Amino acid sequence: MTLIVESGYEFWNPIIWLIAFAVVMVIVYFFRRRGEEKYKKGEEQAQIFLCGEEVPGAEQRQVRGGNAYWGFFETLKEYYDVIVRPHTGIVNDYVVWFIAVVAISAIILFVVELVG
Amino acid sequence: MATLIGHSSILIIAVPLLIAFLTPLIGMASKKARNAVVIVGLAFVAFLVFALARDVILNGIHIYTLGATFPGLTIPEGTMVPVRIILEVDGVSVFMGIIVAIVSLVAVIYSLSAMKGETGQNRFYTLLLLMVGGTFGMVFTGDLFNLFVFLEITSISGAALIAFRTRFADSQEGGFKYIVVSAIASLMILFAIGLLYAQYNLLNIGALAAAMQYTMLDRIALVILISAFVMKLGGVPMHMWLSDTYSVAPVSITVLLIAASQASMYALMRICFTLYGVTLDLAVVGWIIIAIGLLSMFIGVTMAVRQTDITRLIAYNCVCEAGFMLVGLGVGLAVLGDRTALGTYGTTAISGAIFHVINHALFEGLLFLVAGAIFYRIGTRDLNQMGGLGHTMKFTAMFFLLGALASSGIPPFNGFASKILIYESVYQFNPILTIIGILVSIITLAVFVKAFFSAFTGALLPKYENIKEVPKTMIAAMTIFAVIIIIFGLFPGLIVDWMVRPATDALVDQASYINAIMGAIP
Amino acid sequence: MTETLIGNFPFVAAVVLMGIALYILIFRRNLLKIVMGITILSSSVNLFLVTLGYRAGGIAPIYTDAPEGPMVLPVVQALTLTNIVIAVATSALILSLVIRIYRHTGSLDSKKSRRMKG
Repeated sequence: MTLIVESGYEFWNPIIWLIAFAVVMVIVYFFRRRGEEKYKKGEEQAQIFLCGEEVPGAEQRQVRGGNAYWGFFETLKEYYDVIVRPHTGIVNDYVVWFIAVVAISAIILFVVELVG
Repeated sequence: MATLIGHSSILIIAVPLLIAFLTPLIGMASKKARNAVVIVGLAFVAFLVFALARDVILNGIHIYTLGATFPGLTIPEGTMVPVRIILEVDGVSVFMGIIVAIVSLVAVIYSLSAMKGETGQNRFYTLLLLMVGGTFGMVFTGDLFNLFVFLEITSISGAALIAFRTRFADSQEGGFKYIVVSAIASLMILFAIGLLYAQYNLLNIGALAAAMQYTMLDRIALVILISAFVMKLGGVPMHMWLSDTYSVAPVSITVLLIAASQASMYALMRICFTLYGVTLDLAVVGWIIIAIGLLSMFIGVTMAVRQTDITRLIAYNCVCEAGFMLVGLGVGLAVLGDRTALGTYGTTAISGAIFHVINHALFEGLLFLVAGAIFYRIGTRDLNQMGGLGHTMKFTAMFFLLGALASSGIPPFNGFASKILIYESVYQFNPILTIIGILVSIITLAVFVKAFFSAFTGALLPKYENIKEVPKTMIAAMTIFAVIIIIFGLFPGLIVDWMVRPATDALVDQASYINAIMGAIP
Repeated sequence: MTETLIGNFPFVAAVVLMGIALYILIFRRNLLKIVMGITILSSSVNLFLVTLGYRAGGIAPIYTDAPEGPMVLPVVQALTLTNIVIAVATSALILSLVIRIYRHTGSLDSKKSRRMKG
């Protein structure tokens, strides 16, 4: 009973992956053991430090989901303008896209049949 | 036991329908009895599905003729063509049946807590069971018009369930869009079935496949069928209803809607591989499906990155995953006539797509259940409002992380196993497809990192200090999915050898599908 | 050409009805008109199916006391009846959803009543 997925060109055995992961975790554990032992959680050491400034409350500090990947969206602004415009949310447009796909596929099939 | 398995295909469709009609009566008497009857019924159906799966994988295609003297009597005395509705269960059908059985059980267990405060719960469970029965009917039937009828049953009950919570305006809009899209797709499918009937006077898929001559009208019917089923499963450019619909439905229904979309994917496979087979223009139709798949992957994931509504984000990811499956199927279809290519990478591509169907249902289902759990506790789906939920909702956070890693194709989870099957085989067809696939997987990871970090990490916000973990039945439902994901991830070889390979062999082998119907002369 | 069109007039009518229905679905924004479009689409498919079964000079497909001659096909009539029933259920559901959308958003326009886009 094999536990692998093999398709002639690749070989994937998750057990081997897990063994490798465990070995790496053991190495990581040995790295952590060489670390600082005098760490007290909950005291001054673990507080956020903003160069002496006052730390704002959690509501202001939290990075909201809408702000993630700002650079990605700025770079691809033209692409997103082209892609977001058809997503109107109007039901009639959904029907238009369906008719368009049927028409284009039919034309492609008929052209291929006439040519080849 | 043997007679039970012999009749199991019709029982699997009939038992949910029967319990659906009993539910309001029992519900008038006692709520607990109704819940118990629903769960016991679906558990019995799941047992039947697994027994039937074992029988089909070991013994071959399973035929059931409705109304004949014995189930195998497809062509009675004096006729030359199959009469009566025939349920034909082969490897692919029973694979889809297993998915629907698992998903429906989890949906009902989740709904026990998630729908607790709602009114009209009798109707909810009735419609849910109708939808489950409809989906089973879609995947087990061997008759085109029966496929249309069960597709309509699934769509109508699905739309009613999406709009179930009438106090939300966006649910009504989602339900309306779903029923409009489904009605148009179904009517076009019926038109195509009419075209096929007009030429061959047959409605049975096996008999039609034997008689298929690929005339001009058959091409029109093929184009309409492919477009309509691609619209139902959410392929670009007809995917926009999916994000509107999956995001606003109660999440146990979204999980069932995913199963219904995969049933549409099954119908697409049946049409392309079995009904038409090698008679169609394989390269052209294959490339059309590959093109739709590529567009779906790319547009789905790039739209997912910019969403701020958590369920809408997961819904666009569903579009992306549908693209992966379409690419695998398109490659398999394009090389269907070429024996060496089919043996080398064609069947692997189809196996990857079929394996990805169950993985998709599992991890997208888990992600939706987690998003529903968040909505249940804090009442909003907006990522800009959330933060620091992982401090109190530890299990939910762990399940989201599991689902996110599985969806992006990170080893050792099941998403990686199916995606590597698709990548490796599609690369030999055309390397660009694999490159786009890997790129899209990376962006999928970005999508879920954004969602996880916005919702669960960060400091504990003062307005969420009293948020507790979600009720036990919801955790139990999510655990079932998580355990299956981990098992599929750790032992993919078992699943591929026992469930996916028989399905692929059944799909590619059109001759045995036809012989099971036409050769069964008593 | 015109002879073929006149001889196959029901098929032409079914296709024209389908064209009208698709025009309504694409260009009319009122939600109730969209519902009407779906109903007309269903009618066109029903007409197409019933016409498929017609055989020239055919009688109703009932065997009791049947006179001689060809019979029209009964299977497509069964398909049509099933489709009519499905259309009834769909219309009931979709109209109730339109009522709910109107109560929530106050508008029957598909562009003004949508809340989700992008």
